[in-house]
Amino acid sequence: MATRAERKSKVKTLAEAAAMVNDGDRLAIGGFVVYQRPMAFLGELVRQGRKDLTVVGVTNSLDVDLLAGAGALRRVETSYVGLEKHGLAPNFRRAVEAGELQVVDYPEILSMERFRASQENWPFWPCYYLGGNDVALRNPDIKALDCPASGRPMFAVPPAAADVTVIHAIMGDRYGNVLVPARRLTPQSLDITLARSCDRVIVTVEKIVDNSVLQKYPHMVEIPAYRTAAIVEAPFGAHPTAMASMYEEDEAQMHRYAEAAADPERFEGYLDDYVRNCASHEAYLEKIGIARLMAIRCIEVAL
Amino acid sequence: MSRPVRRDGPATLHEVIAVALAMDLRDGELGFTGLVTGDGTARFAAAIPLVASELARRTHAPNLTVMMAGWMHNPDLRAMTRLPTSEFDEYLRDLPCEAHSKGYPGHTWSIKRGDIGYGFASGAQVDVQGNLNSVCIGDPQRPKVRLVGPILQPEHMALFGREYIMMPVHERRRFVEKVDYVSGVGYPGGLEGRRRLGLDRGGPELVMTPKCIFDFDKVVGRMKVRSIHAGISRQDVIDSTGFDLGDLGAVPETSAPDPEYLQILRHEVDPHGILLG
Repeated sequence: MATRAERKSKVKTLAEAAAMVNDGDRLAIGGFVVYQRPMAFLGELVRQGRKDLTVVGVTNSLDVDLLAGAGALRRVETSYVGLEKHGLAPNFRRAVEAGELQVVDYPEILSMERFRASQENWPFWPCYYLGGNDVALRNPDIKALDCPASGRPMFAVPPAAADVTVIHAIMGDRYGNVLVPARRLTPQSLDITLARSCDRVIVTVEKIVDNSVLQKYPHMVEIPAYRTAAIVEAPFGAHPTAMASMYEEDEAQMHRYAEAAADPERFEGYLDDYVRNCASHEAYLEKIGIARLMAIRCIEVAL
Repeated sequence: MSRPVRRDGPATLHEVIAVALAMDLRDGELGFTGLVTGDGTARFAAAIPLVASELARRTHAPNLTVMMAGWMHNPDLRAMTRLPTSEFDEYLRDLPCEAHSKGYPGHTWSIKRGDIGYGFASGAQVDVQGNLNSVCIGDPQRPKVRLVGPILQPEHMALFGREYIMMPVHERRRFVEKVDYVSGVGYPGGLEGRRRLGLDRGGPELVMTPKCIFDFDKVVGRMKVRSIHAGISRQDVIDSTGFDLGDLGAVPETSAPDPEYLQILRHEVDPHGILLG
């Protein structure tokens, strides 16, 4: 007798999804610098007290600084940690200067290629331009070798090898299909690479839609359902970073963050106000306020 | 947002440097200007390069292509209402330009292919060999000051045809004998030394500061003063630099900008004073 099993829903709450990250995991965080960071998810990681994480990234900002300030990090592998126009990343900086956080510096493009190496199961990414550079000389994970074809100096750069990837996207369905609009820049296209480079992919979306909605745009469903481990609805889930075509950066909140992070005690207050004492992402959004959220919202005609 | 603009009078420091840079750019080249943050640094290391490239385009180099923020080809600078402060926001995305490089790996192939003729970098420290540091001050294992990281500097200083180093502050602690961390490689052992490291092209070409312009003895691999800006004494340059500059007796004053170039800069490239302020 044939059985008819139900197709599995991968919809999870933020708390359930965050519980899929283990202490000590290598975590890849979607977005780029101050664009489209899965901040709602990271706030939940802080609420759950996750620790000893390694962030493997390309260019990082508020994401790494928040986790550093909450004591959740052991190591960061990236090309940049800063708050772009809001200055250096104060928590990250303090933790590194205090010897509490290890940084492994990678050049920006190689930081991207590391995810491609993982995507394509390469044991390393080949590079020929690190001679004399401390990013190679001071990193035992980058191996110098002679190119087997030309005999010239070459470097084997390790893959990103993330245990878990979390990205924030516009929409997806309950099976885990995720749409990335055609009008995409580096932050959005890197998210796709991240999602293809790791086997535990968590996606937060502005809205979970019916599968039939995505079937109208299969050419933009860049992350097919089978790759997704969990999908979470988190409106304004990148706030206060910008979400292309959805909302702009909340500059006032970024400024508030940077001001608070400049001082460890003030930052504890910020963490209490905007992370720990917000029982959920919805409580966080209520704290930010509907007027602010509507002010940064974009309305855009798709082209 | 536009402010009164100098339409006559002597060239400002930023104009002097922008015109000097423009004269160094060649027809048919592809230039790469990055996003730089921090008000003074942004003007020096991002706005001046953009103005210089556009000025070259409007004069002797009509076939030059400039890639702003590393992904927008030949943006219409006159459509800008403010200095860009973000790299990938809607403001930049919707600014008129000729072509976009759309995301990874779409924007990286031109760098690796070797298409980029020139770029601009800045750092917390630069040393006598032209090595650049944007990673940390002090022992990298336990830095006194942790900075942002190498970003795209390793690529700039190895894969671009040449690099202009833009240093908005000229002081001893920034111009050092040896950087605390090499995130961009200059000329250790000169051009031959670069070749031994596998670096066949590229390297720093000029270093622009508010006091002078440096170039390099690329055979020896040593920075030297090319010219000193009007109103700055030789002793000031010596006192502000943390390595030996030798005898500056024969070093000329930085040339005043060609008046026609200056007029084109003021009237066509940056008519509203958005870029150079």
